[in-house]
Amino acid sequence: MDYGYINARIRGMHSRLFDRKAYDALIIRQDIPSIITELEKTPYKKEIEEANILYSGITAIEYALRKNLVNTYRKILGLVQGELAEKYIVIFLNRWDVQNIKTILRGKKIHASQDEIKECLIPAGELDEATLNELLKQPDVRAVVDLLATWEQPYALPLTDYIDEYSENRDLVILEYALDKYYYQKALEAAKGKSTEEKIVRRLIRREIDANNIKSVIRIINDNVDWDDAKNLFLEGGLRIDLERFEKMIESGNLESALKYLDGTPYYFLSYLPPEALASGRISVFEKELDSYIISNNTGTFRLDPLSIGVIIGYIWAKYSEIINIRIIARCKHAGVSDEDLEAELIHV
Amino acid sequence: MEQVNPTRMEMIRKRAQIKLAEQGRDLLREKMDALIQEFFRIMESVSDSRERLERIADSAYRSLLIAQAVDDPVTLKSASFATKRHIALDIRGKNVMGVPVPIIERERFSLTVMDRGYSPIGVSGRIDEATEKFESEIDLIIALAETETALRRLGEEIQMNRRRVNALEQVLIPELKRQAKYIKITIEEREREDLYRLKKVKRILQKKRSAQPAE
Repeated sequence: MDYGYINARIRGMHSRLFDRKAYDALIIRQDIPSIITELEKTPYKKEIEEANILYSGITAIEYALRKNLVNTYRKILGLVQGELAEKYIVIFLNRWDVQNIKTILRGKKIHASQDEIKECLIPAGELDEATLNELLKQPDVRAVVDLLATWEQPYALPLTDYIDEYSENRDLVILEYALDKYYYQKALEAAKGKSTEEKIVRRLIRREIDANNIKSVIRIINDNVDWDDAKNLFLEGGLRIDLERFEKMIESGNLESALKYLDGTPYYFLSYLPPEALASGRISVFEKELDSYIISNNTGTFRLDPLSIGVIIGYIWAKYSEIINIRIIARCKHAGVSDEDLEAELIHV
Repeated sequence: MEQVNPTRMEMIRKRAQIKLAEQGRDLLREKMDALIQEFFRIMESVSDSRERLERIADSAYRSLLIAQAVDDPVTLKSASFATKRHIALDIRGKNVMGVPVPIIERERFSLTVMDRGYSPIGVSGRIDEATEKFESEIDLIIALAETETALRRLGEEIQMNRRRVNALEQVLIPELKRQAKYIKITIEEREREDLYRLKKVKRILQKKRSAQPAE
């Protein structure tokens, strides 16, 4: 496959991402209207103008950011359509499909209205808005699963396997676990080959699985969850965290000892966090470090071989982190958080 | 002043009423002291809980802000679909010095990551942290609802008692004492009048007797 044209386009898009100066220009703004004015001078102009018609204030910014994310990912999908790279890009965008299906299932379980559920959907994955709308029209959880199966959507597989168990227990976690595990299993399956592309993609996925497993360990230890329940949270296929290490970390009983098991892995930095962070046991502290690590690594693929999938993946993650950072700035300004605290919340700038 | 019969019977009745009113006042004072002690005991725990609630609420809103900022409010709303549930409370009552106060029986509202109704793999720890803090806030609010209601009821009872004591002390007992004094003065006045009358009659009789010629 010739990455020349696609990667040139992506590099063009990458050059329009926010740099430190652009973030500073947003941070010095005092209120939401002036942030909106500032965003109108950026590539978010089109979405901001559209959002201003429908909403106002922070809601308009958030709507515009979501819309921009969806438009960007759809544009990338359009660029790689029919190419080999499509298979790999789809892996990263499928997480939005999983999230959307979960949202629909959760909404249907509590009989939330279609509009209410629709508000929470981000059609940035393979399932477009029309498909999601059709799913929304279904009366209950089973009907949603049946429709996915009728369309032969891959996500129907884990859901049909566990729908009877769900019907007995009425516990949606069963279906959500199945979807999460299927997503990573499918992603690893799609990238199991020996080509450079597949090696890059596989490495990123396996690292993400590790990060998920570490986050699970921290939550399990904080909540004193039994091993019988805890093992359900383990995701197979990680780079450095296998079931044995996962079990040892949980059985160590406290966070400090558990994180010691990360020595010698790329995630060792977690055990060297300040003692107060360790003592607080706050998952968000560890999660922020892990997310920064993952985003920094994934965006770093942009600088690998210029004629590889790495450029596209790097851009996808850079765009994702840019949108998170703009949202952090807008939300913090909205809530009157000091610039110093706001800066501390930004992810990988 | 209320119309009273200045009789000895009335005097005895008024004195009995004064004694009863004073006994009632003393009892009410004792009850008020006990209620005030209980009130301050509960108030101490309420003010501690209030401070804790404020701290938890601040921290919960901060976590919510970060979760909304990083994970997008729509992701939070999606997770909230999975965790939607009712809070079942069993409310009974108990008596503190004759004041009915509620006891709220509840199971702890805070849940573990496995019981929240969503897969933790797809929901960030920031959302979990915000959820956890709001769950603790609900636990504290329910506990506060119990103690604050008890405090309010005790406060009302103390106020009512104070009004009763004041009414006894400043209205009823002085009034009864005034009436007793009035009866006493009236009876004494009447006795003096009777004595004077008797002396007068005696003098008249003596005069009459001395005016009659000796037979």
